[in-house]
Amino acid sequence: MRSLCNIEHVMNENRLLSDYHIQDRVWDEMFSDSGIRPSYQKIVEAIQNLSAEEMNHKDELAKKLFMSQGITFTVYSSGEGIEKIFPFDVIPRILEAAEWKHIEEGIQQRLKALNIFLKDVYHQQFIIKDGIIPAKLIYSCPNFLRQMVGVEVPFDIYTHISGIDLIRDFDGTYYVLEDNLRTPSGVSYMLENRSITYRIFPDLLPKNKVRAVNEYPDLLLKNLMGLANRQKSNPVVVLLTPGIYNAAYFEHTTLAKLMGIELVEGSDLVVENQKVYMKTTTGLKQVDVIYRRVDDDFIDPLVFRPDSVLGVPGIYGAYRTGNVTIVNAMGNGVADDKAVYSYVPDMIRYYLNEEPILKNVPTYQLADAGNRKMVFENMHNMVIKKTNESGGYGMLIGNSATDEQMNAFKIAVEADPRSFIAQPIINLSSAPCYINGVLQPRRVDLRPYALYGPDGIDIVPGGLTRVALKEGSLVVNSSQGGGSKDTWVLQ
Amino acid sequence: MLSRVAESVFWMSRYMERTNGVLRILRTNYVSSQNEVKDFSWQTLLRSYSDAPQKQLLSLANESRKALHHLLLDRENDSSVINNITRARENARAVQDHTTKEVWQCLNDYYHLIRQPAIEQQILHGDPLTAMDRLISDGMLYHGIVDVTMAREEPFYYVNIGKYIERAILSVDMLQIKLTEIGYNLKEMEDVPALRYLLYSLSGYEFYLKKHRGNFQAELVLKQILFDAVFPHSVAFCLKRLLRYFDQLTPASLPESFKQLEFLIGKANNTVNYTTLDITNNEQLRNYLFQVRSELIDITTGLNKYYFANS
Repeated sequence: MRSLCNIEHVMNENRLLSDYHIQDRVWDEMFSDSGIRPSYQKIVEAIQNLSAEEMNHKDELAKKLFMSQGITFTVYSSGEGIEKIFPFDVIPRILEAAEWKHIEEGIQQRLKALNIFLKDVYHQQFIIKDGIIPAKLIYSCPNFLRQMVGVEVPFDIYTHISGIDLIRDFDGTYYVLEDNLRTPSGVSYMLENRSITYRIFPDLLPKNKVRAVNEYPDLLLKNLMGLANRQKSNPVVVLLTPGIYNAAYFEHTTLAKLMGIELVEGSDLVVENQKVYMKTTTGLKQVDVIYRRVDDDFIDPLVFRPDSVLGVPGIYGAYRTGNVTIVNAMGNGVADDKAVYSYVPDMIRYYLNEEPILKNVPTYQLADAGNRKMVFENMHNMVIKKTNESGGYGMLIGNSATDEQMNAFKIAVEADPRSFIAQPIINLSSAPCYINGVLQPRRVDLRPYALYGPDGIDIVPGGLTRVALKEGSLVVNSSQGGGSKDTWVLQ
Repeated sequence: MLSRVAESVFWMSRYMERTNGVLRILRTNYVSSQNEVKDFSWQTLLRSYSDAPQKQLLSLANESRKALHHLLLDRENDSSVINNITRARENARAVQDHTTKEVWQCLNDYYHLIRQPAIEQQILHGDPLTAMDRLISDGMLYHGIVDVTMAREEPFYYVNIGKYIERAILSVDMLQIKLTEIGYNLKEMEDVPALRYLLYSLSGYEFYLKKHRGNFQAELVLKQILFDAVFPHSVAFCLKRLLRYFDQLTPASLPESFKQLEFLIGKANNTVNYTTLDITNNEQLRNYLFQVRSELIDITTGLNKYYFANS
């Protein structure tokens, strides 16, 4: 930890900031060596004179608003469900216009390449034939869907909605940690966090010239309508949810409401003559576009998992024949596989003939014996991840793991090396969080949401900043004690 | 409109109406348990709104607080008020995009209210009336919010269809409960306290007094609950409203489905309005109430078959 002499006077004047200690070799979003960054000046001015009581009141108000809007998840213990809210930190994370431009361009470039990759890998497979990506890596990927080979999708778009996880190293460089190209969640928190912020900090958003995020549902709906195959002025678009017990149900209902589309469950849909219909009080009504929040494996029990009750029997046939558009496309998992991830920079060079704007975290395939040896020798400095897991599961962070955990991982890796990759530990940047009455630095990542439609790629200025609320933790996932913050992009 | 959504809206509304009805009867029963000199029993009410074994019910029958707790807050009791509210909320959660944000938030708040430890504390150790009054008045918010925020289209009509069918069933049920308590013995009985309490439970006591000026007769009470055209808890009133809201569904119905259901509602309406009833004849009264209830249930079965079947 370091105490910065030239910013000490700022901190001393201010009770809230008095305990704010920046760690060595960690980029702090609010403080630079020369003091508070310009983007944070106004928010610091706004909160520095607030009493502890006022700050606590804001914190409480935020919690109350989440609870009364039902933005909760249920934890079941001893039979009784306990309603919990996803932790929200009241201090926003702020990005300057130039930073955002860099991120936006980087994500657009990356998505273009990933999308071409998906088209290629399910059709001609030039990238394999030209030796850029080994065939073995693709065919051994559990999320490569053979059923998608040769299937045409509207406008050749696969990655309609994606969430790209970004982190910052100690020098402030942005790295892409992972691409989420299947059913990324969290966008409703981006929208809700914003609507809570203007309740707890009135006037601060316009004063800071923060760019709005509320156009997201309109952009998404425009894209979804544009994907319909039938020549119709008002195609039927629905959002398919696994149901009210799904952890992201709040998000499904929020998005359906904001877009004014029907929220359906698998049992509301039926397939007849390779067409998908929804069951209404006046009979069957044909559906043109399905924004599904059900994973590939569960979407059609006739083709994938036969025990799934969340999907619709026969829907895959309707999709293949082009009678219905499913969003995101099926089989995207091959592009956000953690082992395929390390080839994304090569994809960008190969398909676009450009240098990647956003860096990848160096990634070692553990299927390679040399890599395996090197990683095992440096396990303390490495993160080892399973290639097909997410949510902070199936992961070992070397500097905080016990010998026992490391040995268990070694055994697992040796048994199935294709399913693991390793990356050097990147020290996520820290941002101020209001915890126990003072501001404290906690590690954050950033997930902007990109929408790829017939008219191009739109990225709503902002995203979801996830916070590792435990001191010293690098795991930001909500399932592992993480919370979130509002994310401001300044004009 | 999705069949599943129509069904969920219908049930959300039924559970909220049931919650209100049960809360009111529990309140009145509690008040009467404090007023009456003779041994007061919760037996009939427990039998109607609990699925616990007979032995357990017997142990609760003379323990007002425990009986109240069981009927209000016991998760193990499938028909408890807390379970009704939970189900109303679950249904509301699944149809948020067809009601309004305000309706969902109000039901969500209501759910959190009944789970507050203070409510349980008051039922078991404090003043149960304070807890029940709070629940009744917060429940009223829901009705106001539905009325003020929801557009007059399909979901609103299903809300009202659910509300009035449930209310009619509740009125018949409560009548049956009270009549069972007094053994259907209305012959030569002019002033029956149980019927006064019944009127309280249905918010109809003041209306009765205004209308009949202190002339308290069992027959008049029964007539008010069954046939009165302006009393909002009478079975006739509920059926009239039911038909009115059902008519609004005409453009959103398959003609055949509409015809079938219109017939069932019409049939129940006729039974209620065009039967000559001698209340002093125990058997006839009992059969009549049974028939009305069956025909109300037939309407819900018809809705299931012709409108929600696809779900």
